[in-house]
Amino acid sequence: MGLLAKKNPVAATSGAARAADRSKLFDDRFLRTLEHLHLVSRKVFAGNLRAERRTRKVGSGIEFADHRTYSRGDDFRYIDWNLYGRLDRLLLRLFEEEEDLHIYILIDCSDSMAIGNPPKMHYAMKVGAALSYVGLANLDRVSILPFSQKVLGRLPPARGKNRIFRVFEFLRAVEIGGTTDLAEAAKIFVGQNKRRGLAVVISDFYDPKGFEEGINTLRYNKFEPFVLQVYDQKEAAPNLHGDLALVDCETGELREVTVSKSLLEAYTREHEKYCKELEDFCTSRAVPFFRTHTGIPFDELVLRIFRSGGFLR
Amino acid sequence: MTWLLPISLGTLGVVALAAGVLVVIAYVLKMRRRRFEVPFSSLWKRVLEQRDANTLWKQLRRLLSLALLLSIVALTFVAIMAPTLGVTDRRARNVVVLLDTSASMRATDGDPERPTLTRFERARERTVELIDSMGGGDQAMIMRVDSQATPLSRFASDKPLLRKVLDAVQPADTAADLPRALSAAADALRGRANPMIVIVSDGAYSELQLGQASWGAAPPTAAPTAAAPLASAPTVDDPDAASRKAFADTQLATVDLSGIDVRYLGVGARADNVGIIAFNVRRYIANKAAFEAFVEVQNFGAEPAKRRLELRNGNGETGTLIESLPIELGPGERLRRRVANLSGSESQLHATLEPVDGPGGSDVFALDDEAWALLPAQKKQWALLVTADNLYLEGAMQMYDNIEYDKLEPAAYDADPTAAARNPHTNQPYDVVVFNNHTPAIIPPPPSNLVWFHPDGPSSPFAIRSVLPRPRVTETAEEHPVMRWVTLSDVNFDAANVFAIDRDKGDAPLVFSVRDAIAVARRDGERKLLAFGWSLDGTDLMLRVAFPLLLVNSLDWFAGDDADLLTTYATGTRLRIPLDGITGLTEVTIVDPLGRRAQAPVVDGVATFVSNRVGVHQILAYPATRRGVAPDPKAEPIASLQVATNLGSPIESRIAPAPTLTLGGQSLEAPPVFAVSARRDLWLYLVLLVVALLCVEWITYHRRITV
Repeated sequence: MGLLAKKNPVAATSGAARAADRSKLFDDRFLRTLEHLHLVSRKVFAGNLRAERRTRKVGSGIEFADHRTYSRGDDFRYIDWNLYGRLDRLLLRLFEEEEDLHIYILIDCSDSMAIGNPPKMHYAMKVGAALSYVGLANLDRVSILPFSQKVLGRLPPARGKNRIFRVFEFLRAVEIGGTTDLAEAAKIFVGQNKRRGLAVVISDFYDPKGFEEGINTLRYNKFEPFVLQVYDQKEAAPNLHGDLALVDCETGELREVTVSKSLLEAYTREHEKYCKELEDFCTSRAVPFFRTHTGIPFDELVLRIFRSGGFLR
Repeated sequence: MTWLLPISLGTLGVVALAAGVLVVIAYVLKMRRRRFEVPFSSLWKRVLEQRDANTLWKQLRRLLSLALLLSIVALTFVAIMAPTLGVTDRRARNVVVLLDTSASMRATDGDPERPTLTRFERARERTVELIDSMGGGDQAMIMRVDSQATPLSRFASDKPLLRKVLDAVQPADTAADLPRALSAAADALRGRANPMIVIVSDGAYSELQLGQASWGAAPPTAAPTAAAPLASAPTVDDPDAASRKAFADTQLATVDLSGIDVRYLGVGARADNVGIIAFNVRRYIANKAAFEAFVEVQNFGAEPAKRRLELRNGNGETGTLIESLPIELGPGERLRRRVANLSGSESQLHATLEPVDGPGGSDVFALDDEAWALLPAQKKQWALLVTADNLYLEGAMQMYDNIEYDKLEPAAYDADPTAAARNPHTNQPYDVVVFNNHTPAIIPPPPSNLVWFHPDGPSSPFAIRSVLPRPRVTETAEEHPVMRWVTLSDVNFDAANVFAIDRDKGDAPLVFSVRDAIAVARRDGERKLLAFGWSLDGTDLMLRVAFPLLLVNSLDWFAGDDADLLTTYATGTRLRIPLDGITGLTEVTIVDPLGRRAQAPVVDGVATFVSNRVGVHQILAYPATRRGVAPDPKAEPIASLQVATNLGSPIESRIAPAPTLTLGGQSLEAPPVFAVSARRDLWLYLVLLVVALLCVEWITYHRRITV
C-alpha cells in the first residue's frame, strides 16, 4: 500500500569528502603502472617513434612540408624557382618547424566530478597523471591545468620523467569545487598559454552552458583538443524510485520528481543521447574522443588511447 | 436503501472524520520527498520537460491515489452503517422465542405418529418452522427456558445461524421458570419495534407462574385499601394485612408484558404420568447400620395407574433389590410410603417405578420414574479417653456401635503425649480424644478431634473467664448438631467454667447459663474442638438421656455425619454443599451423572452449584489450584462427596399439555404468519469492494502508476 510502503534505502550520495582525500591516489603501485604503460607505448609505436615529436607548425625546419603562394615580404630564399620555371607562378616552399610538443592536461575539478565511487575526479587525475608521465617520458612539455568555472591552477610546462612527482604533488594539492563552465575555462586557458599544443580535456562535460563553445575555443586558437569523457555507471543508470527531491550538486537546483521505471528508462536514454551528442560533435570536427566510466581500469583506458592514435605519433 | 446503524450516527461521523483526517495526514506525509544529489540536473530537466505533456495526468494520478484511499475509508464506514436493499417492512417484528427446555419436554409424546419423538424435539421443529417463516425484516432471539433463562443468540435475521443455535440445544432435567424467562424476554425487547414473544412449550406451568404476568390493566385480584401500605406486616388489629402482603409479593414478581404480543405454540399429547415426587433416606440414630426410606409417588393422569416400586441398594440394575412394592393409584392419587428397617452395604439408594403390563401400566415421561438418595456415611471412629475410671463415660461410649475406644490415665498421657498420635489398632491417630477433668499442656495434633470436660488452667483451649457456681442452663444452641434433641434445663451442676467466646476464631457457644457460655465448639482447621465447662464428677448429667445423646451428637459432628443431612436435592436449584473438614479450597470439581466435569466455587467451606441433571453428582476436591484453572482429572482427589439430585417437581411431572395457555388472565394465540419482505444486506459487498480497492491501490502503488 502506498501509505505503508517502506522507505527506499537509497540515500543521497555526496562524494566531496571522498574526492578530497587524495593522499593515497599516487602510490608506488601507481608509479609502476605508469612505467609499464610507458614501456608498452614504446613497443606499440616503435615504428615511428623518434623520441621527440613535432608540432604541425610550418616554419624553418629542414623537412619539406608544402607550397604556398608567394606574397609580398616573404623571404626570397624559399621561392621554388623550378616551379616558377615550369608554372610561371611564384610559390614558396614550406618546411615543418621542429619544436617541443606542448601537452596541456585540463582536468575538470568541479563538484560534479566528486560524485561516484570512486569519485570521477580521482579517475580523471589518474588518467591525467598517466598521460603526463608518458608525455614527460617522451620529452614533451607537459602542463596540468585543473578547472571548473575557471582555471583553478597551473603546473608549469616541464619535461623529463623525473618531473612526474611534481605532477603528483600538484594533483594532490589542487583545490576542488565549483560549477563546470568549460567555455569560460577554455577562454582563460587560451589566454594564458600562447604555445599551441595538445589540449587533453578530461571531464564529465556536465556543463549547463554546453560543451561546444569550450571545445571550439580550443580549436579556434590552434590547440588540438583531445576529449576524454568520464562518467559513473550509476549516473547513466541510477537505481532510484519513489518520490525524490533531486539536488544538483553544483548549482543546488532542486527538482522534485517521482521516479518510475519509465522515467528511469527515459533518463538513461537521455544520458546516452547527451554522451552521443558530445561524441558526434568531436568526431565531426576530427577531435579525438574517448568515453569511459570509472569501472574501467585507468591503465586500460590509457592503452586504448595509445592504440587509437592521436595522443602518440 | 435503509441503514441498520449498529453504531450511533454521531459516533460514526466523528470516527469517520478522524479516519479521513488521518488518511490526508498520511497522504501528506507520503508526499515528503527524500533528497538525492545528482551531478547534472539538466538531464533530468530535459527528461521531465519531455513528460510535461503528461503533467495534468500526473497530478490527476496523485489525486487519484488520495481519492482511492479516501474512498476505501468511506466505503468501510458505509459498510459499518449496514446498508440494506429492499423495502423496509414497518411491520417487521422483533421476536423472542422462549423454547421450553424443562424436564417435562422429555416426554416422548411429541408426535403420535412418531412414538420416540420427544416434546422438545417437536418444539424444536416448530421453532424451526417459525424461524423459516420469518420475513426479511424480522429478527429473532432464541432463549431457552428451564430453571434459568438463557439467551442463546442475539436478535438476528440470519436463519441458518438461528437453526444452528437450535440444533445445539438439549433439554435439562429441571423445572421451568417461566416468569424469569418472560422478564428476560421483556427486557430484551424493550425499545424494539413490534415486540413479540413466542412461547414454544407443552404449557406445563403452575397457576402461580402463569399468574405472574400483567398486561398493563388492573390485576384481577382485589387491590388492598389505598391507605394501608402494601408490604406492612400483618397484625392482630389488621386482618387484611396477610392478603395485602401476598398481593404485594405477587405484584413484585409480576412481569409487565404491556405492549408485547405474546403467542404460544403448544406441543405434547398425553397427560398420563406416574412419578416419584419425593425420595429420601436416613439412618437410625440408634442403629446406624439400618436405615429407612421415604418415597412419595403420584398419579398425575386422569385414569387409574399401576406400577411396581423397586428400591435398590447400589446404582441402577446392578444394585441389590431390597424392596419391591406393587402400587395402584387412582386419578390424582398420591402415595406416601415409608420403608423401614432397610439394610445394605452401598451408600446409594435407587428408587424406580417399573412399568407393568396392562392399561395404565406405563407412561411417556421416564425422568420422574427414578430417583436417587444417598445414605450418610457410616464411619467407625476410634476414641481415646484420657480420664480416671468413669463408668458413665465408658458406658455411654459402649452404647454407640460405631465407636471403639481406648482408655488412658491422665498421668500416662502426660508421660507420653504422643500416645494420641498413634492408635495401636489402626496405626493412625485417634479420631477423637476425650479429656475428662484433665487439661494437658500438649494436645494431640490434627486431625484428632478433641473434647474436654472441665478444662482448667492456662492450658485450657478456650479462655476461661470465670467460674459459675451452681449454674442453671437457660439456653442451648439448638441449631448446632451437637445440641440437637439435647435438653439440659433440668440438669444440675456443682460449678461450671465460663468461657470467653472468641468469634474471630469461630467459637460457637453451645450452652448458656443466662449470658455465660459454659460449653463451646470450634472448628480448628481440619478438626473440631468441644469443651464443656463442667466436670462429669459434679453433675447428674450422666444419669440423664441427654448425656449419651450429647456424646452421640458430638461424635457424629466430628465424623461429619449429620443425622438430618439432606442428601437429596431438587434439580434446577442452587445447591450449597458444606465441605466438612476440607479447608483451603476455592474451587471443587463437579462431575455430573453424564460424566461431564465443571468447576464450582467454594466460599466459607461451602461449594455452590446448580444441578441440571437427575442422578448422583460427584464433588471432587483436588489440591488447591489457581482459580479458574481446572485440575488434572487424572490426579487423585483429596476428598470426594456425593450428592443426589432428583426431579422432585410435581409441576414438571404434571405433563398434561396445554392446548392453549392463559397468561396473566389473557389467553395466548398461535403466532401469525410473518410478513415476507425481501431484504439484502450490502455490507459484505462493500467489504469486498474495499478489499478490491486495497488491491488496486497496492498494485498501482508498487507498479508506480499512482505515484
